[in-house]
Amino acid sequence: MSDSQIAALRADFERDLATATTVAALRGVRDRYLSRKGGLVSGLLKNLGSAPADVRPRLGKLANDLRQQIETQLDERIAAAEADRPPAGAVDLTLPGRQPALGHRHPLTLLRERIESIFSRMGFLVIEGPELEDEYHNFEALNMPPDHPARDMQDTLYLAAPVRSAAGSPATLLRTHTSGMQIRYMKQHRPPVRLIAPGRVYRRDNLDLTHTPMFTQVEGLVVGEAVSLADLKGTLLVFLRELFGEERKLRFRPSFFPYTEPSAEVDISCAACSGSGCNMCKRTGWIEILGSGMVHPAVFEAVGYDPDRYTGFAFGMGIERTALLKWGVEDIRLFYENDLRFLEQFPL
Amino acid sequence: MRIVYNWLREMVPVPEDVDTVAREISLRGFELAGIEHGREPVIDFEITANRPDCLSHLGIAREASAIWGIPLESGSRIPAALEVTIEAPDLCPRYCAQLFQVKVAPSPAWMQQRLEAAGVRPINNVVDITNYVMLEVGQPMHAFDFERLAQQRIVVRRPRAKETIRTLDGADRSLDGDMLVIADAQRAVAIGGVMGGADSEISASTTTIALESAYFDATSVRRTSKRLGLKTEASARFERGSDIELPPAAIVRATELFIQTGAAAPLLPMIDRYPAPRQPRQILLRSSRIARLLGQVIPTEDVPRYLRPLGFDVAPQNGQGEWRGTVPSFRVDVAREEDLIEEVGRHYGFDRLPVRFPTLDAAQAPPDPTIARDRLVRQTLTSAGFSEAMTFAFIERQAALPFCAAGVDPTAIQNPLSEKFAVLRPSLLPGLVDSCAHNRRRGRKDIQLFESGSRFTPDGEGRAVAFAWMGSATPPHWSGGSRTVDFFDAKGMVELLCHVFGTKGLDVEPRDVSYLVKGRTANVLSSGTALGVFGQLAPAVGEARGLVAGEEVYVAELDLEALARVAAGDDLRAQSLPRYPSIVRDISVVVDETLPAAAVRGTIRSAAPSTLVSISEFDRYQGKGVPEGRVSLSLRLTFRDPERTLTDDEVQAATERIVDALRVAHRAEQR
Repeated sequence: MSDSQIAALRADFERDLATATTVAALRGVRDRYLSRKGGLVSGLLKNLGSAPADVRPRLGKLANDLRQQIETQLDERIAAAEADRPPAGAVDLTLPGRQPALGHRHPLTLLRERIESIFSRMGFLVIEGPELEDEYHNFEALNMPPDHPARDMQDTLYLAAPVRSAAGSPATLLRTHTSGMQIRYMKQHRPPVRLIAPGRVYRRDNLDLTHTPMFTQVEGLVVGEAVSLADLKGTLLVFLRELFGEERKLRFRPSFFPYTEPSAEVDISCAACSGSGCNMCKRTGWIEILGSGMVHPAVFEAVGYDPDRYTGFAFGMGIERTALLKWGVEDIRLFYENDLRFLEQFPL
Repeated sequence: MRIVYNWLREMVPVPEDVDTVAREISLRGFELAGIEHGREPVIDFEITANRPDCLSHLGIAREASAIWGIPLESGSRIPAALEVTIEAPDLCPRYCAQLFQVKVAPSPAWMQQRLEAAGVRPINNVVDITNYVMLEVGQPMHAFDFERLAQQRIVVRRPRAKETIRTLDGADRSLDGDMLVIADAQRAVAIGGVMGGADSEISASTTTIALESAYFDATSVRRTSKRLGLKTEASARFERGSDIELPPAAIVRATELFIQTGAAAPLLPMIDRYPAPRQPRQILLRSSRIARLLGQVIPTEDVPRYLRPLGFDVAPQNGQGEWRGTVPSFRVDVAREEDLIEEVGRHYGFDRLPVRFPTLDAAQAPPDPTIARDRLVRQTLTSAGFSEAMTFAFIERQAALPFCAAGVDPTAIQNPLSEKFAVLRPSLLPGLVDSCAHNRRRGRKDIQLFESGSRFTPDGEGRAVAFAWMGSATPPHWSGGSRTVDFFDAKGMVELLCHVFGTKGLDVEPRDVSYLVKGRTANVLSSGTALGVFGQLAPAVGEARGLVAGEEVYVAELDLEALARVAAGDDLRAQSLPRYPSIVRDISVVVDETLPAAAVRGTIRSAAPSTLVSISEFDRYQGKGVPEGRVSLSLRLTFRDPERTLTDDEVQAATERIVDALRVAHRAEQR
């Protein structure tokens, strides 16, 4: 036994201690150095007798010190490792959980329900109606007699043969807007009227990046004794800012619809460029978002309201187009392909 | 309408650049389609259907005059032997004509340049001048080769039986009774307001022309143009309504241009046939009504300032705040007070109008119950893992046929966009099947989709909800336990949908439909009302739409209106909770494998005392220990009496009676 043997043993122990991380490994280290039978340090002490007598007390002390240090260090490490060890029955917290299946609402439904909730809070009634319509409710009552040039604005899909309709006279066409429902409502109810009519509408438009032959529309109607264009502006301002953000600006441009007079198209300031002009807004800083106007007196006459007593406003917007703008969807056809990778991007 | 900036400025000297002019005009209801800066700057405006008067430089010049308060130059663009007879004054109330001696040649360079800038190809001086006048003042004109008119006569009439004409584009067209033709003594030489005939076309050898400038009935031109599938610059203007005072003025302007360019000299005075002259329309305009509609009082001195430059004559009436507005003949769109108010609003500026909110003066009616119904359906299905699909309501005929009742044709569209959109869907399922195939082709195996919407039968339109389910019945997980969807997953979902509506007493019965697998198809009913159908999609139907053979797809479709009819009402009364404990007995019986579970349940009910409160199957076993063709069915019976605690003995006796009854009725053996 010599100084150098003790030093080598200490170095070996330090190395073994560093690589042992589990309780079992640490116990193995303890056995290797301290076990009564065959332990390296125990063996060293047993050999003490063979050392020269003059160095024996000093070497004995060194070996004993080493044994104590090893014991202390192992005790500490084993206690620490035991404290770290997961309790009985512990699970691997990092494995994925078992999620119940949860589907997604269609983004168009999501937007439609949001629009309905904004208008409901403003006291609007939500009504629905048939998708198959007759000429009277889709056109004539809306100041579009047969051969009216405005009928070209909404290229219509007609049925090959009339179809029975729960709503009244036989249906001959696919509605081009939800206005027919407003006519029905006004014929059954006296003013005041404050409603929105969401639903699917059909136009003979070819499928491309921004058009589908079927799309979803929300139309609104307010009738009373003192409803003005200023009220229309206020209502749409509240609505569009809630939907698109408080910082958005609105612009009302005169336009033409047969069922409103005056008529206005509403533009919203472009969010992509904040009005400075980009591709999204065709460099104008504005994006057209809906059509609106004051209800044409001929419409009031058709439903039996006195146009001298009542005024009203109406508006209409396409939900697909609004969704394209709101979520930056690049191709409107994505809404009808039902690719789950697309649908699952939207909040539940 | 392509407006040539310099041409416009010749008519109204607006001191603004192209962009400013474009912007200001566009803000008054003429949407900007584009601006071309260049040697001949052009502003392209979209003209709405109600403003045919603005399909000319003059119309836009009037707007500019109102915007900048600058009068029209000299007012001059507008300043009267050939035999002309109008036989159809309803379709042509006014017809003007003028003879010219012409030298056919190219028109001067400046005119060609302007025409090209405005989007019209120069041809020769005669045609170019008629086009030039049309673009300037909005009156379409037509020049006939006078020598080719039989007997030098023009007759404006309806076509004769089987009459035909070869038009300028070289096409032979057959005419019918509701159209209008311009004819000479023998034959039709033009289709009124649409296109001239090839026979009387101007050629290099033409020496005398008859220049036509007329007013044609808008509806008639529109119908004719549609029926012939022939849309021209002329028909586009006439069909929206033209200015009945314009025909003679346009001839005066054309004459000026013919003389100025040396192209022609007039012969004899102009002919103007106008048998029943029309009186200008007069409209009362009230300041109070303006304020009511616009929500803003417009100063009374401003109202005439907005209207007069647009051509309206505005005379005060009945003292303060009322005017008599006389509508100029070119404003065919202005018929009532609201139309005048729009003019005032446009030029006041919609953006300057105040912002208010309509006052609420009545409580709102309750919402349409269909809205809450559809929302509940969507919530239920999304909570069960189904994502919502939306598909087109029109589909391919071939895709629709398997879903139509036998002998029933799908509802067809008269003018479909293509064969892919030929008929209205009789069911929501074809769209869902296609959506499944779309996802499957993109590598998705586990698919749960639903749609709620309209479907169409010869009986009309109905609302339904449908779902399609393929792949795994539960979301994949590392712990395993995954299982492919089967019939009972679909049935459970159908039951859940009925359950959320509070529907009681659900029955299923076997059914045969062409698009589902026989033996795995069921009708679902509640107290006799058919609610819908569910089962496994017939593999042939799925494969025809691109689904993979061997992968089972389960579908269901429920009638939402029927479901709403059998839904629980709003009259629920809460039951007090049971005060006495229940006793549970499990029995296992071996019966024929073809015996429906419902029959076993029925026998149990009829043999059991009223204290039996529920029966539920908890195991169904075939295999070792059960003879071939037989099945072991385990049922849990729960007994409870509302008034007292049941004894083990009486429950035991009841259970034995039940097992006896099963033995007698179904040869059931207790295991």
